[in-house]
Amino acid sequence: MPDSILIEGLTRYYNGFLALDNLSLRVKWNEDVALLGPNGAGKTTALKILCGLMRPSSGKAYLAGIDVMAERERAISNVGAILETPEFYPFLTPDETLRYLGRLRGMDGHKLDNRIREVLKLLRLEEWVNVKIEKFSRGMKQRLALAQAMLHDPPILILDEPSLGLDPRGMVEIRDILKEARKKKTVFFASHLLTEVEQICKKVAIIDRGKLRAYDDIARLKKKYRSFERAYLKLTEGAI
Amino acid sequence: MSEFEKLKVVTKYEFLKQFRRKRFYGALAITVLAVVLTIGLYKGLDLPGRMGIRDSPEFFAMLVTSMSSMAILGAVFFAGDAIASEFERKTGYILFPNPVKRITLVVGKYIACVVATAIIIIIAYLISAGALLGFYQQVPGGILGSMAIALMLACSVISMAFVFSSVFKGGMGATIATLLTYMVIFSVISGVLSFAGYDPWFLPNRAGDAVTATYGITFEQAFGGMSAGAHMGGPMFSSPDPTLSFFVLLGYTVVFLPISIWLAKRKEMI
Repeated sequence: MPDSILIEGLTRYYNGFLALDNLSLRVKWNEDVALLGPNGAGKTTALKILCGLMRPSSGKAYLAGIDVMAERERAISNVGAILETPEFYPFLTPDETLRYLGRLRGMDGHKLDNRIREVLKLLRLEEWVNVKIEKFSRGMKQRLALAQAMLHDPPILILDEPSLGLDPRGMVEIRDILKEARKKKTVFFASHLLTEVEQICKKVAIIDRGKLRAYDDIARLKKKYRSFERAYLKLTEGAI
Repeated sequence: MSEFEKLKVVTKYEFLKQFRRKRFYGALAITVLAVVLTIGLYKGLDLPGRMGIRDSPEFFAMLVTSMSSMAILGAVFFAGDAIASEFERKTGYILFPNPVKRITLVVGKYIACVVATAIIIIIAYLISAGALLGFYQQVPGGILGSMAIALMLACSVISMAFVFSSVFKGGMGATIATLLTYMVIFSVISGVLSFAGYDPWFLPNRAGDAVTATYGITFEQAFGGMSAGAHMGGPMFSSPDPTLSFFVLLGYTVVFLPISIWLAKRKEMI
């Protein structure tokens, strides 16, 4: 069985600036892995390449064994994603937005109706189902972003700062949802919040200036560096 | 799910987005106002009498339906940010990570823009036809040809706007670039060629003038009493050929749309 996510030697330049430097990672099925690193480390770039929004300068990325660059649509059908700070069409409602995305992902009829109800209930947005998104706060949009990522019940979740913009209650709720999701799914998410990473994941990939500095169990890193925080600081020394 | 099914979904929701925006109703209101004002001024000022021309449904239709090209402005505003806004407003982060080809998204957006513009154009022509029936109890057959050219003009302008929308980072830049290209650059080239005695039949603005050339009245007949100046005249005051103009506009559509698809496919969410 192919790996859930496989990254092989990903390198990406932005006008001469090296954002990803030969990054390689292997994430097994139902593993929960955090991509941790300081601002500008290359986390979002890696996730964008994985989701086919960007091409690497060199290297390969596979989702469920499918080459993202060669068969983007087939590869991406296994994924639910939140990237950067997503925005929604302000003049559509959550119901219309989820219906649109669900239809693009091949869902329809009662299955889609039921799933929309389920994810909106899970993300506590059921009262806002027919309100135009232009009236939503940042936190509500983030909840809707997670709802759309989980809509088609994908085996792989790729999430960039999933709790960004949420209030403390929202952060706890999202963490609980992700903890539940990781029992059946691969959760691969980028963050720079050590506490969040520790609570959601068992394994962490620490990157800095585009390079992989460590890829190990959090427990093992804690043991080696005496604390997770010290491990992070040591491995990202010199970062801004 | 086939890509054609996905195209239908994209078109449906892009169309819904167009309908939810104020700019659709703004473009509709401006076009209707322009047509109604032209009708009112034509009759109120007795335009044919002042120009020394015999009033006829063809001459009336020629002037009134020329206002339908106002809808082209609407087309530019619908299309200018169709692709660019996905990047500028970051909605692409929700739309693009889906199992749907970029070509499907662009074509779906294109169809939605064309349909939204077509609705405005058709309403403008229906008002013109209603006025013709009311004043003259007849509608010249040329109105259908005029509408066909207006619709093709909209298709070509939207294609051009899509090219700019695929290149520019912002929707406003793409909209302004399209308007400048169409209304300034092409007009200047067209004017220069006309002064030199060449008919710029291959330019979209000249071809678009054919919306008034389907009624069997030439520009020379309609505006024969007006002076063209020392070096003007010739192509500037001749009617463009409607059939040729239709195919010129079709050509622009067929060339620009694939270019915009190719550019949109290459554009990255950085």
